[in-house]
Amino acid sequence: MGIASAPVMSAPVATLPEHGGDDRRQGLAALLTAGTVRSGREIGPGKGVVSDAGLLPVLPALQDLLPMGALQRGSVAAVGDWSMLCLALAAGPVASGAWCAIAGVADFGANAAADAGLDPARLLLIPDLGQNWPQIVASLLDGCDLVLLRPPDRPSAQTRRKVEAAVRRYGGVLLVADEWDGAQVRLHITDHAWTGIGRGHGRLYGRQVRVVADGRGEWSRSRTRWLWLPGPDGAITAVADDQVHADSADWDEEFGAELALPGGR
Amino acid sequence: MSVVQEFCPQIEVLRPGICAFGVRGPARYFGGEAELARKITESVTGRGFGCGVGVADGMFAALLASRDALVSGAADPAGAQIAGAQITVPPVIVPAGETPAYLASRPVTVLGAPELAELLVRLGIRTLGDFAALTSADAENRFGPQGLLAHRLARGLDPRPLVIRQPTANVSVEQEFDPPAERSEPVVFAAKALARQMHARLAGAGLACVRLKVQVTCDNGQEITRLWRHDGLLSDLAVAERVRWQLDGWLASRGEPAGGDGGRGHDGVEAGGVRSLRLLPDQLVRDHGRQLGLWGDALVSDRVSRAAIRVQAMLGHEAVRQPVLTGGRGPADQAIFVPFGDTRPAGRPAGQPWPGQIPAPAPATVYQTPRQARVTDRAGALVTVTGRGEMSADPAQLSVAGGRALVIIAWTGPWPVTERWWDPVQACRKARFQLVTVDGSAWLAVIKDGDWFIEACYD
Repeated sequence: MGIASAPVMSAPVATLPEHGGDDRRQGLAALLTAGTVRSGREIGPGKGVVSDAGLLPVLPALQDLLPMGALQRGSVAAVGDWSMLCLALAAGPVASGAWCAIAGVADFGANAAADAGLDPARLLLIPDLGQNWPQIVASLLDGCDLVLLRPPDRPSAQTRRKVEAAVRRYGGVLLVADEWDGAQVRLHITDHAWTGIGRGHGRLYGRQVRVVADGRGEWSRSRTRWLWLPGPDGAITAVADDQVHADSADWDEEFGAELALPGGR
Repeated sequence: MSVVQEFCPQIEVLRPGICAFGVRGPARYFGGEAELARKITESVTGRGFGCGVGVADGMFAALLASRDALVSGAADPAGAQIAGAQITVPPVIVPAGETPAYLASRPVTVLGAPELAELLVRLGIRTLGDFAALTSADAENRFGPQGLLAHRLARGLDPRPLVIRQPTANVSVEQEFDPPAERSEPVVFAAKALARQMHARLAGAGLACVRLKVQVTCDNGQEITRLWRHDGLLSDLAVAERVRWQLDGWLASRGEPAGGDGGRGHDGVEAGGVRSLRLLPDQLVRDHGRQLGLWGDALVSDRVSRAAIRVQAMLGHEAVRQPVLTGGRGPADQAIFVPFGDTRPAGRPAGQPWPGQIPAPAPATVYQTPRQARVTDRAGALVTVTGRGEMSADPAQLSVAGGRALVIIAWTGPWPVTERWWDPVQACRKARFQLVTVDGSAWLAVIKDGDWFIEACYD
């Protein structure tokens, strides 16, 4: 990797144990709360330098969903459709100094990304990838630690293997905003509910989502977490157990009559 | 022009076909103004062009004199000498200090200001002499700045002093390939040598270039041209690398394997191979040297910018962008996307208060062009908002871009906005709503002139 490790960064990451366990999780949590991972609005230009260790740190709220509590270099993660979840996963690495290329997303919400913790000065946007997108993704992986890709079309198995080979060769992480067979980790939003808005009053305040993660090997058992995605201030945090909203059932009762409208669901 | 430059090195091009030059120095060298004018006329007409030369104290009078030379030459062929097949007209030379007298009898219409001339004629001032007889203070009081300028002209003065320029040095470099290069390696190799040559020429002229134009000509006549940012920073190797990317990008756009890693070679240079390569420095500036930042410049590391420029070579300069947060009310106003490598425009700064701004959280999807939508009430009629911000009925269903109608389970608004009411072109009145549909999606909708659009999706 061409990026030099700043001593202050590589030291804590290097002390992470290689295998799972609470020690590791606490170690990373301490690392994150110690100010190593900051929001994109706080981080100044040129301050953070991502380490060359095998892991890219993620936001604390997402650690339980990922093997080793972080994104592994050389791996592919599939994140369902384009949503805040993609931004949430990219926020941790970018806040700790990684560059992120966002490929194939034409309608990118830059403000939401900044609120989630992505420093706009460390993003490259390639809204339109064109026909030859696997080669472009490979070029981007050469320069950026993280590539967030919404593929213009469903790739063939051969194309997929080519892209995966590039991910391994350059030691980057590929987040795919789509299905991707052979992804090491898959995350989906199964339930979501907006809060703070009523019928003619209030405003969108935050959204609670249930994220289910599964993957391959020992991570094949799926894990579920409730997250604020986004929270009231745009930040992404875990939802405390006693705050978990179960309002989709309420809505069905309240709007049962309307749901039967012609043209409704 | 180049003919005239042989006589006087410093000329000012006024507009195509007309140039001006100071005569004092060259006239002394060539033996008088008349002799110089005669020599220039002869050599220009010798090339097959008609030409008239006028000499006077001011640029305006000199221009009139040169026209006189042409007109008198055409009207009085007897006075013209025959030089080959061309007619050489004698120059008109106004002796020093007699310029006002030369101008005095001219009609005011020659000033090139039709409105002013019409006014002067109606006031009884028909010639430049009459006009010059006014004091300049009167001329300015009555006719404004344009009148003052015309008054200076009428008195035989210059509205501005002559500006002379150095002819641009030829700093472009070119290499021909004979036979045409079938592979891109020899082209890239030649580019390195050419870049060294070009940098030497630029340094010799004390110049730096902001951009570099690389022009590759194929054997079938096709040209591949691209501008690269240079800023006086690129080494010979970096220039060669950009030539390689340009060829790669060209091949990629033709859907041929480009051998992205440089390992497999570039056998695909078809179209008969590359016939010539030219490097043209663009936007020359005086080289003041460049102070590199001590650490600030390291934000965009070499690795990232190489990747970005490489993708730009394949997809075009505009294809790789960086977001810049700006101030604004709607989500689309709050960010602009600047092509990678361009300087950031000084726009509306972020972080200023914008009353009526959409509150946080920000939407993850902001449509670059708002999507057409329909918001209807329970009876199926389109919901409208009055000028006072009153809704015709509660919104009940949303259909985006002609899609399936979704039941609205929660909504808030209207938030009316009247933006730039002082500017008739940009003024707009609209009202925004936040809508949550039954599938759990949250939308930012806007109604403008009775039409609904979806500006953003919060998911």
